[in-house]
Amino acid sequence: MATPIRISVEHVTKRFAAGAVTVFEDLDLAVRDGEALCILGPSGCGKTTLLRCMHGLAEIDAGRIVIDGVEVRAPSRKVAMVFQHFGLMPWKRVRENVAYGLELARIPRATIDERVEHYIEMVGLRGFERAYPYALSGGMQQRVGLARALAVEPDVLLMDEPFGSLDALTREVLQNELLRIYQERPRTMVFITHSIEEAIALGDRVVVLSSRPARVREVISVDIERPRTMASVIAHDRFVDLRDRCSRLVLDRPAA
Amino acid sequence: MSIREAQASAPSAARRRGLSPRMGDWTVRLGSIAVVLLVWEFLAPSWNPLIIRPPSAIAVAFVELVESGELQTALLTSLRAFVGGFIIAVVIGVFLGVVTGRWRTAFNAFDPLVSALYSVPSVALIPIIGFMFKYQGDAPRVAAVALFCVFPVLINTQQGVRNVDRGLLEVARAFNTSERRLWTDVILPSATPFVLAGIRLAIGRGLIGMIVAEFLIGLVGLGYLIIQYGNVFRMDRAFVPVITVAAMGIVFMGLIQWLEGRVAPWLRREQ
Repeated sequence: MATPIRISVEHVTKRFAAGAVTVFEDLDLAVRDGEALCILGPSGCGKTTLLRCMHGLAEIDAGRIVIDGVEVRAPSRKVAMVFQHFGLMPWKRVRENVAYGLELARIPRATIDERVEHYIEMVGLRGFERAYPYALSGGMQQRVGLARALAVEPDVLLMDEPFGSLDALTREVLQNELLRIYQERPRTMVFITHSIEEAIALGDRVVVLSSRPARVREVISVDIERPRTMASVIAHDRFVDLRDRCSRLVLDRPAA
Repeated sequence: MSIREAQASAPSAARRRGLSPRMGDWTVRLGSIAVVLLVWEFLAPSWNPLIIRPPSAIAVAFVELVESGELQTALLTSLRAFVGGFIIAVVIGVFLGVVTGRWRTAFNAFDPLVSALYSVPSVALIPIIGFMFKYQGDAPRVAAVALFCVFPVLINTQQGVRNVDRGLLEVARAFNTSERRLWTDVILPSATPFVLAGIRLAIGRGLIGMIVAEFLIGLVGLGYLIIQYGNVFRMDRAFVPVITVAAMGIVFMGLIQWLEGRVAPWLRREQ
């Protein structure tokens, strides 16, 4: 299997508080082209920081991160991010929020309109184009966040616990939507989560990180065929086994 | 599915909560004014007429002052100073607020001056302003109004610019914003409610500045009408400019509220 590597994280070290706190040290990670990689780890282990480093939003102290052969130093237009806090501008209507990245990329107006309409449709927000974010539920707000990231048609999609602040029912609806969107057009995706079920259901591989300083404990291949839904994954024969392996690694327990 | 439901129920819910509570609000507002006026009207005759006159006498005095043209002349003079000073204060206040809110060096340069000037009661500076502008024309009163208005605008704008949501700043960076777009997309809109709150405070302070300057510098405008008729114990007439100032306050507040709906429609949820 010679799938090309899209993102490679090489011997990366990140420290906080003037070096007093080491978030991760000598971390190595590779994301293959077109794969959905989930990064799973206990709260506070530096998952979000890792993702921010991958997008050039935070500087690293040693090592390097390379996307498509180019070392990451600042946010690139080929990469788009979905935030846990949604990050919508309260003063922009849905369609303006979705158009945001496209406008910054100086794409012609006609193309922007076309794409905005397409992605609003894709995330199921048709009819809400003129609504302000305050009028939307949390789940709908994150649909906007997702459409905003998809609209720039990035090569890489970085997702920072995007469904972490949603209630369980809304979360499952959006997980299924994301599965559908990914399966329609697979693209390289790095998905941060602390939910084991979510990591298994969405990921082609799951990287389990240890608590701080984070190291890669194990990389688990999810041998559950696509197309998937949350329900089909949980009902799958392999699910219980995968979940137990992940949870042992996350909770740091030895194999039974 | 949930979206379809929300879509279907949203407009009807808005309509149901629409007009009737507003009407109720206004009934209470106007009703309370009517009660105060009625009580005043019936109690006034039991006081010395040199001190308190009933609303009906004030209404008559109002008509007299309008017929003689005194009120219009005074109002125009006052308005010139108020509007001039207010606009100058908003321009200076927003500009300095943005600059000091965004750049640390500018903040350090201006903060001691602003704090010093703000802690001095502005009233104490009015005679000095009069002297500086040689007590001539509108200029000293315009300057007095500007002095009274500028601080709330400046300080609020500064806070607004500093309080930009860090999450949104990161979103803007993640999408590769330019510095110019960072201002128009994030910083300025997020400061807007603070600026508007500062402007609202400035109206009240500006009216004080206007009247005090007319007492101490100009001997013109509504302030002077108050003094002029107060000195000859015509309380009915002295009240007319007082009520006019109150009306100015209400009109300007309403204008700002209208403006807020235009420039910041996303804030409507708070009403």
